[in-house]
Amino acid sequence: MRTESKRREFQLARAYVPFQIMNNVYNSKEALKKGTLFPELYMPYKYEKRY
Amino acid sequence: MDREQVCLLKEIMEVSFVLDETSLYLDTHPNDERALRLHNNYAQKYSEIVSLYEAKYGPLQNHNMSQYPWAYINGPWPWEFDYRLC
Repeated sequence: MRTESKRREFQLARAYVPFQIMNNVYNSKEALKKGTLFPELYMPYKYEKRY
Repeated sequence: MDREQVCLLKEIMEVSFVLDETSLYLDTHPNDERALRLHNNYAQKYSEIVSLYEAKYGPLQNHNMSQYPWAYINGPWPWEFDYRLC
């Protein structure tokens, strides 16, 4: 199994997380509602009315 | 349980969530002065609101102080709050 994950097509992932610099922040009410203090991290899943 | 108690509790939850966020951010950005100021402001606000709540409704947590008699056990459990009141 080990050799397989080495081969190119099986490479799992490579994470790149840019260093966050705090800019604007939500007020406390909105932060709890949105689940984050930081607008740049607010990424709700958009869903169509399929289900 | 009146409206004001629920509103106060909601505010405590909002402020404590901000503190979760600022403390996590500060873990990786200990030199961010603006973030630390924001954190300290909310920490100040947190202790004010909690003591306000506890003065009126008894201890929020069982290791906080209580008036006589022990008020914690009579207070509402988290699932007994009607959060729609606020």
